[in-house]
Amino acid sequence: MVMSEREVSINVPVELPTEVKSLFLPIPKNMVEEVYRSDEYLVLIGPAHPGSGHMRIILRLKGDYIVEAIPDPGYVHRAVEKLAETRLFVHNIPLVERPTIAESSIMDHGYVRAIEELGQLDVPPRAQYLRVIMDELSRIGDHLYDTGILAVFLGHSTGYMWGFGLREFIVDALARMTGARITVSFVIPSGVRWDVHPDTLRYIYNMTFFIEKKIDELGTIFTKNPVTVSRMKSVGVLTKDECIRFGAVGPFLRACGVEYDNRKVRPYAVYDQLEWEVPVADEGDAYSRFLVRVEEIRQSLNIIRQAVKNIPEGPVIGSKLMARVPPKERERVAKDIRNYLFRLLIGLTLPEGEATTLTEAARGTLLYSLVSDGKSNVPYRLRMITPSWYNLRPFMESLKGYRLMDLPAIYGSWGYFPPEADR
Amino acid sequence: MGDTGVNTLKITLKSIGIDIKLLPDSWASWGTKFSIWPAHLVTACCGVEFAHTSAPGYDAERWGFLPIFGPRQTNAIVIEGTVTRKMAKVVKVAYEQMPYPKFVIAMGSCAMEGGVFWNSYHVVRVSDIVPVDAWVMGCPPTPEAVIRAIRMVQDKIEGKEVKPNIRPSQFDLTKLKPDKPQRPPNPPHRIEFELIKDINVCKPMPNVKWELGQKLVDGFKSTLGNGVKNAVVRNVNDLCITLDSAGRLREAVESAFKLGFDHVKSINVIDLINAGVFRMEYVLGSYMNKELMPVLLTIYFDVPRDEAKVPSIIDLYPGADYQERELYDLFGVWFEGNPWMGSNFLLDPDTPVKYPLRKEYRIPSLKGVVVER
Repeated sequence: MVMSEREVSINVPVELPTEVKSLFLPIPKNMVEEVYRSDEYLVLIGPAHPGSGHMRIILRLKGDYIVEAIPDPGYVHRAVEKLAETRLFVHNIPLVERPTIAESSIMDHGYVRAIEELGQLDVPPRAQYLRVIMDELSRIGDHLYDTGILAVFLGHSTGYMWGFGLREFIVDALARMTGARITVSFVIPSGVRWDVHPDTLRYIYNMTFFIEKKIDELGTIFTKNPVTVSRMKSVGVLTKDECIRFGAVGPFLRACGVEYDNRKVRPYAVYDQLEWEVPVADEGDAYSRFLVRVEEIRQSLNIIRQAVKNIPEGPVIGSKLMARVPPKERERVAKDIRNYLFRLLIGLTLPEGEATTLTEAARGTLLYSLVSDGKSNVPYRLRMITPSWYNLRPFMESLKGYRLMDLPAIYGSWGYFPPEADR
Repeated sequence: MGDTGVNTLKITLKSIGIDIKLLPDSWASWGTKFSIWPAHLVTACCGVEFAHTSAPGYDAERWGFLPIFGPRQTNAIVIEGTVTRKMAKVVKVAYEQMPYPKFVIAMGSCAMEGGVFWNSYHVVRVSDIVPVDAWVMGCPPTPEAVIRAIRMVQDKIEGKEVKPNIRPSQFDLTKLKPDKPQRPPNPPHRIEFELIKDINVCKPMPNVKWELGQKLVDGFKSTLGNGVKNAVVRNVNDLCITLDSAGRLREAVESAFKLGFDHVKSINVIDLINAGVFRMEYVLGSYMNKELMPVLLTIYFDVPRDEAKVPSIIDLYPGADYQERELYDLFGVWFEGNPWMGSNFLLDPDTPVKYPLRKEYRIPSLKGVVVER
């Protein structure tokens, strides 16, 4: 049937609803008016929604296509950068891991590397290997966390159960190594807190095979499920050029076809001595952003196995720090810094200057800029930029042009974690 | 608010003034006890352990505790961690939408006293917003601790005495009383920001040999001419360029863009209060140029604190947009050309302090806290 189209103008006076004032909309008022008078909708997603943490997205819809997406972050802004200026260098370790406690070890590692670079502290090889094992465990844990949240977004509660059920093993391994399930605070300047028993390492080595087997099973249940594929394929596409322009990082950048991983490009710890690959996808859609991270879990398992096999014997505290321990105690403290941690590190004053470190966190580049004035034993300024904060802009760009019902799939595919973004 | 429990399971017809009981008390409390479905309101990072509580490892659904998306169909709400000023309004709205009887479990040290964030300008206490029935301690609390809090709420519904179901061992503290009053040790903080006039952030490491870096530095010196105050190779893969004024930024950034630096890693402000300047810092990197991939190019320049205006670079680097908005929120640096300037992005409009990361705003520190015993 052919319908003839004809423009009809209806002159009805329209007034803005009074609620607009009380909604604290962080957008220009004339935009609200403009949307209200035209044939469009303004839809507020959040701040209370069943995802991970809180963020409001203000969507401008035409029909049910998203024309514009404006974020309203800051619901979990807790002023980490300001608080760091009132605490000792070593006291900041528990503070910087709070924004992303699911991968606390990586957050500590980046911050501690900035201290080591500025203070010229040395790290023994055994501590480097332990750091790598913990980082990769955290990375797997974080990707499983994101898998679970993505499954919640898609309404697939079995996927959530699998993601978090597998995470329980990672958390258990961290608890065996460090004593804490989530917030480990295990990495300290010039080493790690204590040596890990070979039995624990053997447990982690065996666990990697179990996780690998279960990841395959998760593939049949969730990853390759036709519902998951059809919800996420060809949705939220960003081209390679757009990804770079809007500043995507980490697995989300690699899903657009850019082979950039800080562990390869600016190697730290012992990543250059281990063999592993960087998973890259070309599509740049929501599904490839998810698949790249699933593949990264396999690579991380591979790294852990190599690290456990190759880990050398020796102390876990660097020689510069050990020089300040009484000779009688040195043999014990080299394996376990307990009782000496604060005696050695409380007066730590770093030379004047700035150190910038790039770390590959689970969701991408983690940047710390540590400025020390040379006199205080607190940082003069700590700049911390987390992967989710980088990814917010490309996330908003990837929403444009897709339908409102695709929003949960796109949101889940970016692994956006508001406490991490807002700091 | 506050009158929770079985007595509220009734309908009051105000017009005629009679109470209609829906169910016998014992039935109602039994039913409520095993169906406290909490509203899913992740306020902060404790949500990670809260998710584990409902995951296969602990499976809190065994006690009838299953997170539900909307607050309008729930009996309980779990405040998962820190509540910021911006979030407090949302918590209040969500709490008021819940039907009676309603219970609140506050999770984590941050919800009690602020925890690690006790001196933050953007954090409030949960007890100031909603009445709390059960507190869970820990940072973050383990799933077992959350389940104990669920049991406490269930005891409250049944009208039993509400107490923690871990009993600590009893000890008579009066015997430990010291003869002399003890004084706490001095906090070891040595904060000497008042003495700092200038920080040399561009200090090159000794004995750095890096040919590409030297070539890039010479290139910048020749293109920018006298706009460059100082250009050095700070370390391998780390360049440092100091410009003489904010006006030269566009020129420097454009030449870097032409060389292949295609994204901004960081925009930073260092507040040198005694010198009266903000030291701006731009860190650029490259994704597409294999040779430049590991290189970090850092550009510094000073702007006066009282009139901090910097040209925006979002037309070249749209990825830097949100960092510029953030720094306007935190420092009050005006990025000319960014359309968002003038309104808050991260901070709540009611935050008591404007531009909180400036050095003149001091937050309470352990240094100033006096403990009395």
